[in-house]
Amino acid sequence: MEKYGIGQPVRRKEDARFITGAGTFVDDITRENLAHAFVLRSPYAHADIGRIDTSEAMAMPGVLAIITGADWIAEGFAPMPTKSAVQTKIDGSKLNQPPRHPLAIGRARYVGEPVAFIVAETRAQARDAGEAVEVDYEEREAVTDPAKAIAPGAPRIWDDIEGNFCLDFELGDRQATDKAFEDAGHVVTLELRNQRVTAVPIEPRGAIAEYDSATGRYKLHNATQNVHANRAAFAGVLNISPDELHHIAPDVGGGFGAKNSGYPEPPLLLHAAKKLGRPVKWINDRNESFQSDTHGRAQDSKVELALDEDGKFLALRTATIGDIGAYCWTIGPFTPTAGSARTQGGPYYFPAMYYTSRAVFTNTMPLDPYRGAGRPEASFQIERVVELAARKLGIDPVELRAKNLMPADSLPRKTPMGLDVDSGDFPKVFGRTLEMSDRAGYAQRVEASRERGLRRGFAIAPYLECTGGSPKEFAGVKFAKDGTLTLSVGSQSTGMGHETSMPQILAATLGLDIAKISYVQADTQATPIGGGHGGSRNLEVGGSAVVTAANEIIGKAKQIAAHLLNSSAEDMSFADGAFADVKTDQSVSIEDVIAASLEQARLPGDMEPGCLDTGAIFEREVISCPNGCHAAEVEVDPETGAVQVVGYWVVDDFGTIINPLLAEGQVMGGIAQGLGQALLEEIIYDPESGQLVTGSLMDYALPRADDLPAMEMEFFEDAPTAKNPLGVKGAGEAGCCGAPPAIVNAVLDALAGDGVTHIEMPLTPQKIWRAIAEAKT
Amino acid sequence: MPAISLSVNGKPVSGEYEARTLLCELLRGHLALTGTHVGCDTSQCGACVVLVDGDPVKSCAMLAAQADGREVTTIEGLAGGEKLHPMQEAFRDHHALQCGFCTPGMILTSVALARGNPALGEEDVAKGLEGNLCRCTGYRNIIRAVMAGAKAMREQGDV
Repeated sequence: MEKYGIGQPVRRKEDARFITGAGTFVDDITRENLAHAFVLRSPYAHADIGRIDTSEAMAMPGVLAIITGADWIAEGFAPMPTKSAVQTKIDGSKLNQPPRHPLAIGRARYVGEPVAFIVAETRAQARDAGEAVEVDYEEREAVTDPAKAIAPGAPRIWDDIEGNFCLDFELGDRQATDKAFEDAGHVVTLELRNQRVTAVPIEPRGAIAEYDSATGRYKLHNATQNVHANRAAFAGVLNISPDELHHIAPDVGGGFGAKNSGYPEPPLLLHAAKKLGRPVKWINDRNESFQSDTHGRAQDSKVELALDEDGKFLALRTATIGDIGAYCWTIGPFTPTAGSARTQGGPYYFPAMYYTSRAVFTNTMPLDPYRGAGRPEASFQIERVVELAARKLGIDPVELRAKNLMPADSLPRKTPMGLDVDSGDFPKVFGRTLEMSDRAGYAQRVEASRERGLRRGFAIAPYLECTGGSPKEFAGVKFAKDGTLTLSVGSQSTGMGHETSMPQILAATLGLDIAKISYVQADTQATPIGGGHGGSRNLEVGGSAVVTAANEIIGKAKQIAAHLLNSSAEDMSFADGAFADVKTDQSVSIEDVIAASLEQARLPGDMEPGCLDTGAIFEREVISCPNGCHAAEVEVDPETGAVQVVGYWVVDDFGTIINPLLAEGQVMGGIAQGLGQALLEEIIYDPESGQLVTGSLMDYALPRADDLPAMEMEFFEDAPTAKNPLGVKGAGEAGCCGAPPAIVNAVLDALAGDGVTHIEMPLTPQKIWRAIAEAKT
Repeated sequence: MPAISLSVNGKPVSGEYEARTLLCELLRGHLALTGTHVGCDTSQCGACVVLVDGDPVKSCAMLAAQADGREVTTIEGLAGGEKLHPMQEAFRDHHALQCGFCTPGMILTSVALARGNPALGEEDVAKGLEGNLCRCTGYRNIIRAVMAGAKAMREQGDV
């Protein structure tokens, strides 16, 4: 029997199917009589749609149905919902939220917006027919830059929305902040961009819809991160009850936020499946994914730091313009507002802060959360302005950071942004990261780089972030007669390994063999509620729901154990998988108690077989604050501008670590995406035509195996949070918060002697080479 | 429609397929070997890599007809029966996969890298995997796994 506790590097159960090709991703599923759909997308960023002639396409081989915007509206379906937690402007009025339908209605507002939906016998036939649909477009002037979109005279994307303005937002004490700036010894200001990127899960989005005319029920297998919320959204669009839609996510090949949204294709598929009486499949190709997966970041900010004469931070003031694309999408307005405000100032002690932002419409693919959703942006903002301040004031950037971190004895503390920082030791984590990075040997390494004609740079980047996503989660446990049990949880793994970590928690709490536990997720029939994946929430709320369920099971099992031992439940103790009578020392194993729970003859009279089956809900009251510190060393070739990250060190405080193997995997993956943002990735739209320039993997640079350095990492576990029973703080998004500032500041440190003080991400060789050349002149 | 005969995972396959059928479509659609994944359409991601006569090939960029008369190995055919191939074991042992979508292509490319270089080093692996994208792991555990898998293959005389 394999007994595993909390904190052990249990190898993943799910790997057995993935390494043998036996995983089931949505495109691996097929059905009898399956039809295939293709989405015809707008080739224009902004165009009126006139007549759509489908006659030629309908006559093509295999074509079964073509749905246009006019057809869709005629069905009386509702628009897709927006569920941003921020719904009002600063003046209290409601945000400007244009209706979003699965198909463009009369006007296309971004390249890739669905214009028609074609169903045929094969995917190739549907695609061929898409080319034969004649759409009369009348092109309009497009605007893709958010600052231009709110400037006077900009093309109007929505006729009834002036200035392409969605909403504005503020948080913090404006007066106290302004006062601090007036009295400050130094003020350092930096304008910077968190550029638009996209998640690029390697599995493209896709789904299969089925309709059972006998029961009137729909079934949807969908590469989504959130079956419950999207079931509600799709049911709302189709004017059906959520109970009529069974929503399942099979194995999902990565998400990172981009599979969270309410997308247009599933309602179209569901409608087509009912209309045709056949199952219908749609799989996006990669080029379509760049156009039609939600994008992330896209914030332009002015960041101002006030310091006293000695370099103590007095106040932080940030003003952001957040590009949200052509629609509010699912929670688009949230990220540049509250999503980016909460963790302003990072782990530093600020007496005053003020954050303000505007969310703006442009003729681009809309934005929704991408790994971190606001926290990486905030982390980049503070760390860049601190680095610049150190340079301007002639203070060592390590020293400037160290003297401004929130001291351990200042916690618990509510920051001026209202973030409840209950636990941690930021100076200790910072100090340990410095130790790991071998500062003593740095001068020698700089010299060795110099001898090879390279510039070496170093930067350290402490970060503080927070969890998010739905605050409630469900865990259910069912026991079977063969001694196995099934654990069902409403959170969802799209690669993070819940199939291992969640049974690990249950096995550890109940003292059971992990091999006996099978795991179910992402099925609206398996759990009554579910918050899916997002906001590093799984262990925090899902794991805590498992603990809550396990404790209920132990409570009920004590009654059975007492009955078996002729004792009373009050005298039962539970440890190491056995119940013992504290008075007599007689004991019974949990396996035996579980077996007894399934036989009426061995149960107390008031209990029934199956009585140990348990469903429990955990609801968090306050979000947790993962934190930590990254440090990077880079080499820059001044002749080519090429960067290689040559050293990387991390200490993370995620509270209690359940499975270090999986936690490290999350950190490394987050760093890779952060490195991508820092050095490689950017979604670019042509400013004149609004065309997507980076529309394929040949144009959009993902990190490759030789871009990543070896990473040394440790976990700081001495300050678990009391906000949940596991003491966990969340791990999934931290890497994306620490890596961009660590890498960008290290590159700028390498170029300090060249007089380069700022380069916008991504720091491509061309931009670096130009910056060096321009600094010379 | 061209008639094609080839060997897939040691078994003979023959039939007539539409000329535009890609090797990945033959494997996934006609033969139901869905372990070969398709993650892009410009042969960048490498999720669809299979071995053709032992060489790693992006099966989305090869017509089924081009595989006529050749031996194809997919992820389903890599293990000898119940026993995992050492590269598969190494990927599990080193947590070299998260979502699992890129994994079949990664493993098959890695097997070919190990067979092609008895003195495989970490840098060779990093360069050798340039044509295989992973968005989850940050690659370092994959590199560790390939080093361990290659070592095990050498010990078993599979290199």
